Amino acid sequence: MATHAPVTDSVVNSAPRRLVLEVLHDWVTTVDHKKIGLMYIGYALIFLVIAGFEALLMRVQLSIPNNHFVSPQVFNQLFTMHGTTMVFFVGMPVLFGFGNYLIPLMIGARDMAFPRLNAFSFWIASFGGLLLYFSYLGGSGLYGAGSAPDVGWFAYAPLTAHVFSPGHSTDYWTLAILLSGIGSIGTALNIVTTIICMRCPGMKLNRMPLLVWLYLVMSCLVFVTVSPLTAAQIMLMLDRYLGSHFFDTQAGGSAVLWMHFFWIFGHPEVYVLILPSFAFANEIIPVYSRKAIFGYPAMVAASVGIGFISLSVWAHHMFTVGMGAGANTFFTLATMIISVPTGIKIFNWLATLWGGKIHFTASMMFAVGFLFQFLIAGLTGIMLSVAPFDWQLSASYFVVAHFHYVLVGAILFILFAAFYYWYPKMTGRLLSEKLGKWHFWIFLIGFHLTFDFMHIPGLEGMPRRIYTYEADRGWMMWNMIVSSGAIFQTIGTLLFVYNMVWSFIKGPIAGPDPWDAWTLEWSTTSPPPHYNFAIIPTVESRRPLWDLKHPDDPDSHYE
Amino acid sequence: MTEPGKGDAVQDEYPTSDPNAVLLPQPTAWPLVLALGISLIMAGMVTNVAVGILGLLLSVAGSFGWFFQVLPHEAHESVPVTGEEIRSVSTRTLMEREHRHPESATPRKILPVETFRITTGIRGGIAGGIAMIVPATIFSLLKYHSIWYAMNLLAAGGFVSWAGASDTFLSQFHLQGLLAGLLIHGLTSLLVGLLYGAMLPMFPRYPIVTAGFMAPLLFTGILYSALGIVSPILNQRIDWFWFIMSQIAFGLVCGFVVNLQTRVRTPQFQALPFAVRAGLHSDQDERTHQTPTNTDEKGISK
Repeated sequence: MATHAPVTDSVVNSAPRRLVLEVLHDWVTTVDHKKIGLMYIGYALIFLVIAGFEALLMRVQLSIPNNHFVSPQVFNQLFTMHGTTMVFFVGMPVLFGFGNYLIPLMIGARDMAFPRLNAFSFWIASFGGLLLYFSYLGGSGLYGAGSAPDVGWFAYAPLTAHVFSPGHSTDYWTLAILLSGIGSIGTALNIVTTIICMRCPGMKLNRMPLLVWLYLVMSCLVFVTVSPLTAAQIMLMLDRYLGSHFFDTQAGGSAVLWMHFFWIFGHPEVYVLILPSFAFANEIIPVYSRKAIFGYPAMVAASVGIGFISLSVWAHHMFTVGMGAGANTFFTLATMIISVPTGIKIFNWLATLWGGKIHFTASMMFAVGFLFQFLIAGLTGIMLSVAPFDWQLSASYFVVAHFHYVLVGAILFILFAAFYYWYPKMTGRLLSEKLGKWHFWIFLIGFHLTFDFMHIPGLEGMPRRIYTYEADRGWMMWNMIVSSGAIFQTIGTLLFVYNMVWSFIKGPIAGPDPWDAWTLEWSTTSPPPHYNFAIIPTVESRRPLWDLKHPDDPDSHYE
Repeated sequence: MTEPGKGDAVQDEYPTSDPNAVLLPQPTAWPLVLALGISLIMAGMVTNVAVGILGLLLSVAGSFGWFFQVLPHEAHESVPVTGEEIRSVSTRTLMEREHRHPESATPRKILPVETFRITTGIRGGIAGGIAMIVPATIFSLLKYHSIWYAMNLLAAGGFVSWAGASDTFLSQFHLQGLLAGLLIHGLTSLLVGLLYGAMLPMFPRYPIVTAGFMAPLLFTGILYSALGIVSPILNQRIDWFWFIMSQIAFGLVCGFVVNLQTRVRTPQFQALPFAVRAGLHSDQDERTHQTPTNTDEKGISK
């Protein structure tokens, strides 16, 4: 076979047990893309549990009227830390982790283009997360002023000015995001360079797996969008430390400027998170449908189209600031237009499923859930793109429900699918399908209880970030249902964590290619050796393993 | 993917003298040290200057350490190749599919062999759009004694100031109403025409029912649920009977025009056997497989 040399050494099973410190040293000093990818994923999962716990506390607080389970100050910190953590220290790291792990394997490379930069990017982003949470101790512990940040995840001016946010809590937020941004740009640079320069022989651009294409687009988006955010963070630091007035409206600055800076990052950021999710769907759905992806060129074009259009929609977050009819119309249309390439993707996934022999594994069930929920999330997104509609519901729980439908219903669901799909490659063991299906159904019920019903109090006028509410508002029943859904989701997530730990120890051995898949990562052992491929593969179609398994009917005859 | 020839050695961008070893970047802690240093410099701004100074020292040390990792030569370690041989085999075969369709010239479906040009959809959209005007105009004349009502009503969705306009106002000629109405109607007709061009080959049976009735009724259903948001004024005053009539007029004419056009061969056609492409044998076998049967691994679709 093409990618592995015969056994030449007898050290395979004779490696002595190593000390914990030696293992730790290996991981701390590693520049191997697979280990860095796993560290990204592990670190993101830890923060997922933390931010999930914060969400749970918020739901307890909001489950009944006039509740004082936490104080208003703590509540403000909770939604700030939850949002910031989920976006910067869960979403991006976990997706970068999968990208790090999979891209070199999928393009037949031995490592990323800049292995040391890869390690640096991981460590600086992770220190950013630690710095953010150190604010709980350091904010008041060292200076006696403030604690964790409480300005919301988009930290609108002038709330971030010294007058309204004394102490250092906001600074911790700014610095943590700054560090995370450096890491993100480093990893994006690495991904782009790796994809452009390190593809194996025969892997032309039009033969690259769609996952790789989507990571390429996503990484280019990171360049364009994280840079304004980093610039804005530096400007905010200058405002707070050196007395500049970029966002100080009292001294001629502009609070709306911050909004533009933030959302020119913030909305493409949604696509930075969703494009890798599309990438996972592009790999998982065909394999479990036993069909090649439908419309590969259209999928690539749609991905690139989404990348471009997503840069022109940011101000739909700002319809209520009074931008004027011209700007409102432009951003409404731009937002609606992005549904066209997105719709192409959905149709192509459906066409891939159509007539296929679908295998409803846990991974595929999560992928189908993703398809359905992403569609609904997109539809509420189109509703919110209409400026007059947005004027009514901006900053309400309807918006919260919409973006959680995207982030949880689409991104988290397909992430779970990705875990069930690639966990065997990463660990060498299969996750329990039975537990996986329990996980799916429990989480699905919890998700729909929470986020379907969250739309309703939003339509009834419940504002986001509200600490508590009066009993006569009619929101209690909806909030109780929403909060009960959070309990289901927690149970589902715990089941998933248990499955991962149990399967790591006792799961069935996966073998190199448990799903009979078609991309290069399945041509090597599970987990792959340090060098990925002893012999660099040569590919002749988009499904190199199909060619290898069916030499009488290779894809290369049809592409 | 190709099998390596006999005698293929381990390949690497950094050749090594050992044919059973691979050179990989050497593990190093310096990136970690530099990252920690920069983080501590940042942390020093909100904790204590001593933390910042420690960060600065670590950053300098990390930078130098990293430089010496890559200069003058990048540090590598030789990793022995120890993995077992992997053979990629499928648990499924093409046999079952071939038995099921022994007449097939190739072991897989070729989809689609023919389709319409993009211009076909545009033509269909224009023709359908013109046809749609007829019932809309009849409705305007019968109910409001003016040919402009339907056009103005369509345009009103784009003008906030027309939200409360009277029927009399909407029955009069307004240039901006005409332009906005034409724009909305023209653009929508073109897009739906393109959709017809793309989708009609997928539903070859009963094209009149599909194009003339099913699609208009489905589109009306979608619009019925969404019109309150898209255009509240249109939602208040629309006459659904006449709307469905105009949709059916669009569907019938657009579908007819699209189906009149000649289909063109797709790139998939190239995958057919030469005898079929040359016209020596019929490609009917391939076409019979275009109907969605229970496709599986054995009959992989393209």
